Amino acid sequence: MNERSLIFLALAGIVSAALLLRPGLPIGVTDSAHEVFELIESLDSGDVVMISFDHEASSLPEVGPLGAAIADHCFRKRINVVGLALFAEGTAAGYELLTERAGGAGARYGDDWIYLGFRPQYTAAILGMGESIPDVFAADYRGTEIGTLPLGRRVLDYNDIDLVVSVADGSMPTYWVEYAQARYGQKIVAALSAVMVTSFTPYLEAGQLAGILPGLRGAAAYEQLLNSPGAGSRGMDAISGAHVLLALLVVAGNIQLWRSRRRRRNP
Amino acid sequence: MRDRLAVMAASACGVLLVVQYFVNADWLQASYRLLLSWMQAIFAFALVVGVLAVIRDRIARAGRTTEERVNAVVMVGAALVISLLGFVGGTGRESPFQWAFVHLQAPMQTTVFSLLAFYVATAAYRGFRARTIESGVLVVAALIVLLGRVPIGEWLTPVLPGGADWILNTPALAAKRAILIGIGLGMAATSLRVIAGIERTYLGGR
Repeated sequence: MNERSLIFLALAGIVSAALLLRPGLPIGVTDSAHEVFELIESLDSGDVVMISFDHEASSLPEVGPLGAAIADHCFRKRINVVGLALFAEGTAAGYELLTERAGGAGARYGDDWIYLGFRPQYTAAILGMGESIPDVFAADYRGTEIGTLPLGRRVLDYNDIDLVVSVADGSMPTYWVEYAQARYGQKIVAALSAVMVTSFTPYLEAGQLAGILPGLRGAAAYEQLLNSPGAGSRGMDAISGAHVLLALLVVAGNIQLWRSRRRRRNP
Repeated sequence: MRDRLAVMAASACGVLLVVQYFVNADWLQASYRLLLSWMQAIFAFALVVGVLAVIRDRIARAGRTTEERVNAVVMVGAALVISLLGFVGGTGRESPFQWAFVHLQAPMQTTVFSLLAFYVATAAYRGFRARTIESGVLVVAALIVLLGRVPIGEWLTPVLPGGADWILNTPALAAKRAILIGIGLGMAATSLRVIAGIERTYLGGR
C-alpha cells in the first residue's frame, strides 16, 4: 500500500470514527456567533428576516447547518422569514430547509414565512428588491401570487426587512454589501463557508456587514447558544480529527524533508 | 456599425446608472427600474442559451470516443429528466423534482466536493514543506490556524485559538484588504473604460 492510499484510509477512518463514536469535544461560543445571535435576539416578534440561500448543493453539509440554526432562532422568536435564492442550486435546498424548520416550530406558510424562489442575475435582483420586491418576485416558489399572501403584502422593499442573512459558499455577500447595504442601507449578515471568512472580515470591520457566522464552527457555536445541538455540533468532532491529521501530516512531511537534507549533507 | 451601436448602448446605460445614483429625478428612477428588469430578462435568455450550448457541445463530442458518448448520454439525459420532472410535477416539497434534488443531485455533488479533503490531505504531506524561511513561516501559520479553529485546539491550549485569530485578523486581513482595494480600483477603471468606449473586449475581442 502506497503513502497516498494510507493517507486516504487514515482520513476516512478518523472522520468515520468521529461521526460514529461522537466523542463530544466541548464547543466554545465564538465572539462572531455571539454577535449574530444577539443581533437576531434584539429583533421583535413579527419583524422580518430575509434568508438568501446563495450556495451550491456541494457545500450543503457546511452551510446547511448555518441556515438551519438561523432559521430555528427566527422561528423560535416568532420572527417572520422571507426565503429566496440567488444561486439556482440554493433554491430547492433553501425551500427544503425552511419547510422542515418551519414545520418543527409550527410556523405557517404565508403568515409566518414565505419562499420567493430563485431569480437570475443577482445584481439586478438585489437592486430590484430595493425598489419593489413584488416587481422582482411577482409569485412565490409555489407559484402563488405574492400579493395574496399576508406576509407577501407586508414586505414591499428593504424598508420592510429588518435583516438580510446571506447563507453563502462564495462571494455573493459582496453583492449584498455593494448593492443592498451601500445603496439602501440594508443590514446584512453573512453566514459563510469557513474558507471565505477572511474575504469578508474587511466589510465587517468597516461596518458594512453586521455580522459573520463562519462555517461549521460558527453553526456549532450558534447551536450552543440556542441550546439545541444539531448538524454543526455533530460535525465538529470529525472536523477536529481531520484538522489534527492534517497537522500531523504537515509535521511528518517536514520531518521527512529535514531527514533527507541531513542525509545529503552527511552521506 | 453593429459594434458602434453596442458601444453606444453600453455607454448610455453606464452613464444613466451613474447619474441616477446621484440625481433623484422620477424619469431617471423609472429608467433605472426598467434597466434592472431588462438585465434579468437578458440573463434569463442567457441561461437558456448556455444550457443549449452545453447540450450541443456534449452531443458534438459524443461521436469521438465511447467515454465521451457515455458522458454525453448521462449529461443530456439528466438535464432532460430533471427539467421534465420540474415542468410536469412542479417543484413542491413532495414533487419528484425536489426528491431528485435532495436524494440524487445534492448527495452526488457533496460527495464529489468532499473528495477534495483527501487531495488536501495528501498535498499537506507532500507539498507543504518548509524549504525556505518564507515557506517555514507559512507552515507554522498553517499549523496554528489548522488547530486553532477547531474545538480540539481550544482543548489543547487557549493560545492556539488566540494565535489563529491574530493570524487571520492581522497579517491575512491586511493582505486581503490590499487585494480588495486593488480589485475595487480595477473595477472602477474598467467601468470607466467601458463607459468611454475604450474597453471593447465584451464585444468578443473585435
